[in-house]
Amino acid sequence: MDLEALHAMSLQLRRDVVEMVYRTKDGHPSPSFSVADIITALYFEVMNIDPSNPDKSDRDRFVLSKGHACPVLYAALARRGYFPVDDLYTLRYLHSKLQGHPYAPKTKGLDATTGSLGNGVSIGLGMALAARIQKQTNRVYVITGDGELGEGMIWEAAMAASHQKAANLTVFIDNNNYQSGGTVGEVSGPYPIEDKWKAFGWHTQSIDGHDISQILQAVENAKAETERPSAIICKTVKGNGVSFMVGENSWHKRVYTDEEYRIAMKELGGVL
Amino acid sequence: MSSVDSTRIGFRDALMHLAKERDDIVFVSTDSLKVVKGEPFLEAYPDRVIELGISEQNGVGVSSGLASSGLLPYICTYAGFLTMRACEQMRTFVSYPALKVRFVGANGGLHGGNREGVSHQFIEDVGILRTMPNFTILCPADGNQVYQAMLASADIEGPVYIRIGSGREEKVFPDGTPFPLGKVRTIVDEGNDVALFCHGFVTNRVIETAKRLKEEGIGAKVVEVATIKPLDRAGIAAILGKTGCAVTIEDHTIINGLGSAIAEVIAEGNPAYLVRLGLQDVYGESGFPDELLDAYGMSVEDIIEGAKKAIKHTKA
Repeated sequence: MDLEALHAMSLQLRRDVVEMVYRTKDGHPSPSFSVADIITALYFEVMNIDPSNPDKSDRDRFVLSKGHACPVLYAALARRGYFPVDDLYTLRYLHSKLQGHPYAPKTKGLDATTGSLGNGVSIGLGMALAARIQKQTNRVYVITGDGELGEGMIWEAAMAASHQKAANLTVFIDNNNYQSGGTVGEVSGPYPIEDKWKAFGWHTQSIDGHDISQILQAVENAKAETERPSAIICKTVKGNGVSFMVGENSWHKRVYTDEEYRIAMKELGGVL
Repeated sequence: MSSVDSTRIGFRDALMHLAKERDDIVFVSTDSLKVVKGEPFLEAYPDRVIELGISEQNGVGVSSGLASSGLLPYICTYAGFLTMRACEQMRTFVSYPALKVRFVGANGGLHGGNREGVSHQFIEDVGILRTMPNFTILCPADGNQVYQAMLASADIEGPVYIRIGSGREEKVFPDGTPFPLGKVRTIVDEGNDVALFCHGFVTNRVIETAKRLKEEGIGAKVVEVATIKPLDRAGIAAILGKTGCAVTIEDHTIINGLGSAIAEVIAEGNPAYLVRLGLQDVYGESGFPDELLDAYGMSVEDIIEGAKKAIKHTKA
């Protein structure tokens, strides 16, 4: 896809999230929006995947460590053709294939079960090491939150991944500056983020996580690394794309009223 | 055929055997390779060992990623560092998606942890894992049975937990005895007065108890329950139907281990009087293995007393 099409897709995925949350009256909208452009770049340009053969062994893998942002991931899978778009409107309903947090056995196209924070880098490292053992060239991508960096297990995995020279592992840090209880600065103090990953032996980059061209370039830079795993610190905005969601952390998990739904859809370029 | 006299070596030798036959075996080490004298495995299969350093939660997460990619990871370290420190990782990222990760927990029980003391004596592992769907839980009695259990369980669906000890266990079964995956096994049958259910490194003392009871004219069955989950409920019910009373002997807290499992079978349609021996909701302390089992209510005399109590209540 060209950049224009990718940008259009990222708006589509955001509209899908609004529609899902509005219709099913549950889910995490603004954490989905901060990673919408990264997920768009991965699923519609970067990753070697085949929706008609979702389990092919040498496919690239994706792990959404901040599993609560799954509505936008589900939207990407549906738009990529893993399952019908209408299935999105079963989010969090009994017997739905779309669980409140990602559950791989139920959802075609999902590579990992996630949800409790701090676990995704380890799971991704396991996948990256499996590729090495199986002599495959596939790559593994993980998205963690910035508040999530408070989980000690992230740093266990960070130390092990550089020790193992897992250069086929790339971790995006969704630095939207908020966690459930407020700004990350107020609550947990993860800064300086890039220095920490650098100190753990990772190749690091800092980019604008809503600029798809920067995301694509950063992925290329990561692929060029042969020894070190890559951390891409993405400056993002929680709720990016809808004016009333930006700077209002209640949208971490909140349902749209009819009026909010109309405004959000309009701002995201939807036709009502 | 392996002749091994320790559960740790039983694990290692079985892993060597499996790795020779198939190319999906991976040993995930959290600085635990030397715990099981794994150097020969590392030498033979250097690309099949993933050394992660001391990081058990990470180790289980990595194992989840390996299994989801089609490999068969064995992660072996001390039982509590898996089932307690990495409990949530075992639940949410392995048990819930039913991935084929094999967990081998060392220092099971007071016997396994012995002089190390409570931080390294794991008396809760089986109970914790019984609550997790999809798990198979195996408690072999000696080194050779660990070897056989490893081979028997390699291909089963979902996660498997195998409890091993300190590396200093007595032999119970002759070399080559198969592991009865999923079934209870009556290993002594002197009559129908009482059933003595047990697993693991207390088994020889339960066999000794049956001999002593026979000398007193009491006919006991010694029934090994080496597969705690899925439980052979029908096999247990059939034995309870004959004896009407039972004693459970486990080197584990009596809460949610073997004793609780048998109590559940009893309560759900197979009435029998039950005496549960094991850790009585207390922690242990440092000591020699047999000395600890004697001190914490698992001596031959304790089992004899328990059997007589169960029989007395049944006949009353």
